[in-house]
Amino acid sequence: MRLRLPERPLANRSIAVRLAVSALFWSGVILVGAGAVLVALYRDATERGFDGRLLVHATTLGSQVATGREALVAGDPLFELPFSGFYWQVGAPGASLREIDTSRSLVGATLPWLDGPQAELGTVRTGYVAGPDGRSLRAVERTLAAGEGARFTVLVAAPADEIAADVRRFALALAATFAALGLLLGLSTLLQIRFGLRPLARLRAAVVAIRRGEAETVSGDYPHDIAPLAGEINLLIGSNRDILERARTQVGNLAHALKTPLSVLVNEARTGGGPLADVVESEAETMRRQIGYYLDRARAAAQVGTLGTVTPVAPVAASLMRAFAKIHAGKRLDLALEAPEEARFRGEKQDLEEMLGNLLDNAAKWARSRVVLRAEASGDVERPRLLLIVEDDGPGVPADRRAEMVERGKRLDESVPGSGLGLSIVADLAALYRGSLTLGESAMGGLSATLDLPGDVG
Amino acid sequence: MRVLVVEDDASLNRQIVAALTDAGYVVDKAFDGEEGQFLGETEPYDCVILDLGLPKTDGVSVLSAWRREGKVMPVLILTARDRWSEKVQAFDAGADDYVTKPFHVEELLARVRALVRRAAGHATSEIVCGRVTLDTRAGRVLVDDMPVKLTSHEYRLLAYMIHHKGRIVSRAELTEHLYDQDFDRDSNTIEVFVGRLRKKLGVDVIKTMRGLGYVVEEGA
Repeated sequence: MRLRLPERPLANRSIAVRLAVSALFWSGVILVGAGAVLVALYRDATERGFDGRLLVHATTLGSQVATGREALVAGDPLFELPFSGFYWQVGAPGASLREIDTSRSLVGATLPWLDGPQAELGTVRTGYVAGPDGRSLRAVERTLAAGEGARFTVLVAAPADEIAADVRRFALALAATFAALGLLLGLSTLLQIRFGLRPLARLRAAVVAIRRGEAETVSGDYPHDIAPLAGEINLLIGSNRDILERARTQVGNLAHALKTPLSVLVNEARTGGGPLADVVESEAETMRRQIGYYLDRARAAAQVGTLGTVTPVAPVAASLMRAFAKIHAGKRLDLALEAPEEARFRGEKQDLEEMLGNLLDNAAKWARSRVVLRAEASGDVERPRLLLIVEDDGPGVPADRRAEMVERGKRLDESVPGSGLGLSIVADLAALYRGSLTLGESAMGGLSATLDLPGDVG
Repeated sequence: MRVLVVEDDASLNRQIVAALTDAGYVVDKAFDGEEGQFLGETEPYDCVILDLGLPKTDGVSVLSAWRREGKVMPVLILTARDRWSEKVQAFDAGADDYVTKPFHVEELLARVRALVRRAAGHATSEIVCGRVTLDTRAGRVLVDDMPVKLTSHEYRLLAYMIHHKGRIVSRAELTEHLYDQDFDRDSNTIEVFVGRLRKKLGVDVIKTMRGLGYVVEEGA
C-alpha cells in the first residue's frame, strides 16, 4: 500500500483560491520564461550589431597588413588613447610578443587570443576577453592569409559595458512591462474566477436558504455541469420529506389500529364488571399511556433535521383558538390572540400546532374567563427568536411545582406521562428546535407559559 | 334525540350504540364514510358521532361535505390521533368537540349531552320550563322538584320538545328525531305519547297548535 501524503492545505481551501494560486503560478512561470528568452535574443542582436562595427576595423587592419603597410592605423582615434578600452592587435596566434603588432592604446600590453581551435581562413570569431585593466571586452577575431601560406590574425576589441548596459536597460523595461502584464493577467483571472464560480456561490446561497427555512427547494437555472447537483439536492430534500411523511402516516396508523381495540376492551370490561374488568381496565390504561408516550416521542425524534420549513404563527393560532372556543363553548371563554401577521416559526406546522395546542388546552381548562396568546420577537438579527406566550387567569401553579411540570425526557417508569398537563411533550418538542418552555406567573393571575423558539416577526 | 354513529370498528360501534340507546337516544349507525355521509345528508340528527379514520371516505371529508351542504348538527369527533394537528384539521372542517380514543363511553355520553344542549342554546345541564325541569345529565324529569317516572320513549319526546321550547315542533319533525330510519312514519303514535305525557306530568306544558304541531311555552 502506498502511503498517502498529507494533504496540502491549499487543497482544502476554496476552489477560487486554488484557481487563483495556480493561475498566478503558471502565468508567473510563463512570464519569467518569456522574459529570459527575449533578453537572450536581444543580447544576441546587440552583440551582432557591435561585432559588425568591430569587424569594419578588423577588415581595415587586415587589408593594411595584406598590402604590406608598416604603420597600421585603425579608423578611430580611440585606438590611440592609452587604455581607452578600444584595442586591436595583429599577429600569428602562438607567436611571441615581439611579433605582435598592437594598437597604441594597449601601451605595449597584449590581449589574449580568443579560445577555441584555430579557425578557417577568413572566418570571423567573436567572444569576450579581459582587457589589461581587467575590463571585460568584446572582441572580434579574423584570420587572414598573408601570401605564401603565411597566416595572421587580426583582433579588434571594445568595452563590453556598452552591450551590458544596453541589455540591462532592455531587461528593466521588459521587466516593468511584464510586471504590468502579470498584474493585468492576475486581475482578469480573479474576475474570471468570480464570474465562473458565481453559479456555485448561488447554489451555496440556495442551500443555506433551505437550511434557514427560507426556501423549500433549490430553484433557478444552473450551468449544465452543476445542474445535476442542484437536482440531486432537491431530490434528497424531497425524499427526506417523503420518508418523514411516510413514517408519520405509519405511526398514526399504528396508533389508530391499537387505540380502537383498546377502547373496546375498556368499555367491554366496564360493562362486564368484576375483578377481571379492573385488571383489564388498569392494564389497558397503562397500554394507552405507553402508546401515547412513545408514539409522541418517536414522532418528535423523526423530524429532527427536517430542512427548511417556515410556519406562519397567526393562522395556526387562529385555528386552534376557534377549536378551543368550540370545545369550551359552555364556559364563555375570552380567547385573545395578539400575534403579528408576520410572526413565523422555523419548523413544522404540526409541531407548532402540538406545542400551542397543549399550552392553550391547558390554559383553557384552568382559565376562569380569559386566555391570551401573544407572539413577540426576541434575539438578534443574526439569530432571530420567536417568543410565544400563553397566559390565563386561572389558579396558576406554585413556583416549586412548575419545574417538575416541564421536566423533559423522563422515562415511563420514572414519571407518569399523561398525568401532567401535556407540558412535558411541549418542552420536548421545543428542545428539539433548540428552544425552551418556561413557566411563570401571569399578570392575569394564572399560569404564564413562554415558548422560546427559532423564528422571527417579519 | 336522534344520533348518528359513524365508526368502522364493529365492536366499538356496537358499544357506543348500546350506551346511547340505554341513555334514551334514538341511534342510527354507519360503518364507513360513504354510508355515514349519506345518512347525515338525508336524515335530521341532533348529534353525530364521527370517527376520523373511516374506510371509503375519511371523517374530515365527510364532515366538510356536510358543512358545505349547510348541515349544522353538532358533530363529535372520535380520533385515535391525539395530535393537535389532526384535531385542528377536524375543527377547521366544522367539528364541535372531540373525544380521543381510547375513551370511556360515559365520557362520550357526557359530551353528546352537552353538545345537544348547546346546539339548542342551553348552557346548563338542567332546562327549566315553569314547573317542569329536564335534567339532561341524569336523564330525568322533575315537576315541582319531584321526579316523574317516564318511559324512555316518553322522555325522548319531552326532552326534544323542551330542548326546543318556545318553537313549534311538527309531528313529522318529532317522528324524524325520535325514531330511527326504519320507523313507519304514518302512524299516530306521537299523539298517543303526547297524551300519556300530559297525564303523567299533570302540568299543562305541552300546547297543541292545530295543524302545525306542539309547542312547549318558554315560561309555562
